[in-house]
Amino acid sequence: MIEFESVTKRFPGGGVGVEDVSLTIPTGKITVFVGPSGCGKTTSLRMINRMLEPSSGRILHDGQDVAKLDKAKLRRGMGYVIQQVGLLPHRTIVDNVCTVPFLLGRSKARARADAVALLERVGLDPVIAKRYPAQLSGGQQQRVGVARALAADPPVMLMDEPFSAVDPIVRESLQDEFLRLQHDLGKTIVFVTHDVDEAVKLGDQVAVFGGGGRLVQVDAPEDLLGRPRNAFVASLIGRDRGYRRLSFVPARDLPSHDVVTVSTDATTREVHETSERTGKSWVLSVDSDGRPVSWLDGRGDGDDLGRVPVGNTFTDDDSCRAALDGALASPAGLAVHVDADGRVVGGVGHDEIARYVTSLRSAEGGTAEDAGQDAAVEADA
Amino acid sequence: MIEFLSVNQGRILGDLEQHLYLSLLPIIIGLVIAIPLGMLAANSRWANAPLLGLSSVTYSIPSLALFIAMPGIIGTKILDPINVVIALSLYTTALLFRSVLDGLRAVPEPVKQASTAMGMRRARQLLTVELPVAIPVVAAGLRVAAVSNISLVSVGALIGVGGLGDLFTYGFQIGSYYYIGSGIVLSVLLALIADVVIVVIQRIATPWTRARAAR
Ligand SMILES: Nc1ncnc2c1ncn2[C@@H]1O[C@H](COP(=O)(O)OP(=O)(O)OP(=O)(O)O)[C@@H](O)[C@H]1O
Ligand SMILES: [Mg+2]
Repeated sequence: MIEFESVTKRFPGGGVGVEDVSLTIPTGKITVFVGPSGCGKTTSLRMINRMLEPSSGRILHDGQDVAKLDKAKLRRGMGYVIQQVGLLPHRTIVDNVCTVPFLLGRSKARARADAVALLERVGLDPVIAKRYPAQLSGGQQQRVGVARALAADPPVMLMDEPFSAVDPIVRESLQDEFLRLQHDLGKTIVFVTHDVDEAVKLGDQVAVFGGGGRLVQVDAPEDLLGRPRNAFVASLIGRDRGYRRLSFVPARDLPSHDVVTVSTDATTREVHETSERTGKSWVLSVDSDGRPVSWLDGRGDGDDLGRVPVGNTFTDDDSCRAALDGALASPAGLAVHVDADGRVVGGVGHDEIARYVTSLRSAEGGTAEDAGQDAAVEADA
Repeated sequence: MIEFLSVNQGRILGDLEQHLYLSLLPIIIGLVIAIPLGMLAANSRWANAPLLGLSSVTYSIPSLALFIAMPGIIGTKILDPINVVIALSLYTTALLFRSVLDGLRAVPEPVKQASTAMGMRRARQLLTVELPVAIPVVAAGLRVAAVSNISLVSVGALIGVGGLGDLFTYGFQIGSYYYIGSGIVLSVLLALIADVVIVVIQRIATPWTRARAAR
């Protein structure tokens, strides 16, 4: 556990880094620092491993004041991914990854073998091990930076915008890999970003920094999206926060109902008859195992029948966001609900999803209308 | 010409050897002194300005004046080759000090920060990260120092210790272009070879700089 106790950092020129921050960073969890540029995220991170010293207040690591610990030893126990990557240009990738193990005096052969395995773990091809940093792309360098921070298996990881230099698609896959890795490793992670999507996706806890280096709100992501403390947080998380928040509402209890299905080898005539009998303009074709294949237009012509492949389906373990994505992509306006084996168990319409989510909100005591809530937030700020 | 060379082989080889000794020994001395001074200046604000000033002043003293003044300052004999070695060591130190300082300052900030963040102590960081990363800049300074020393040694001939410069002065005295010509050709050749040797050593020492070009 890492605790900030009324930590303030002022720089010699009079600039404020952070102002009176108190915060608890729980062990084994991901805490995300998010906020606009210059709000003190990096400064806060750098005080944890004493790259910077607080002007007042203290930081405790497992109950010990970090100011009393040996700097170099403290740092070797905390993997650090710096914002600008900072690989050592004169060392090969594998030796970059081995930096801390070498500092700790571990056997070179062992450390190098572990480093190569780690490169694979963060999604890099081990052939790059013998290359130099200048021969890698920005995204590859960032992954090496993450591998380097993990190499000595430190219990704490401090990560300053580790995925900022990659395009959105690669970034998303890095985030997924990162979550998988954390699932296995269970480290205490402090992760800095100014991307709210990244913050709510990765964080077990999100700390929002605002102007003047002040901490504005610390909450679980769903609470942050559901109950932004003031107008600043509300505007930071944006107008589409209602939609973002759907990621945290389980799809399990959606009012899923039967959908009209036909077998994939049904004839055009059978499809037309089914559509007429049930009054549904789209029917779902399923294969012999009951897995969804495509939507068929009940009044369509020819062999094709306006066939639209079924895109995203959702299971009980998915979120309402996944269900809504599926419903919006379907010509029938229905998200296909499947079981763990991918067999169709039902469907739910986008209007039904919206009604369900609204009912949850009023049950929570929140204002039903998003707009109403924004207005209320603005008024109290 | 060939006859000239074979007749004077002894004298020419002797001058060449002295030339090499007088120009290269100061390079080694200069490097050995400049590295710690450069590291000091890069790390201490108060040492920085005086050292920089000293190096500029030193570098601006005319070489002949220094060669002549040296015996007076350190009490050596006027014809002692040590005068040239010490004077050139001063120049080389002044020049390489700048190179080491520039090289250390050019180490990217993120590289320094990452090394610190990983728990390297200051001395280790300087020796195993910053100094190696500064090698290309230092090597560029070494090339300048080597070539300029090789040509400065010839000036030493005016006070009687000049390696190949001795061939020029003697050539002028007896009016023989053979001596002058071979002196010039050999000192240019020496400078070229020294330059190539430094480049080759630098390339071997810094494989990562080639990697960048190959990307
Ligand atoms: N060494 C320093 N000297 C003076 N002021 C500084 C220094 N480092 C940071 N600051 C100031 O402290 C404030 C917080 O900076 P910090 O780097 O922590 O921001 P950040 O939240 O990480 O921003 P970004 O998202 O751009 O990385 C900024 O106003 C910055 O100008
Ligand atoms: Mg920052």
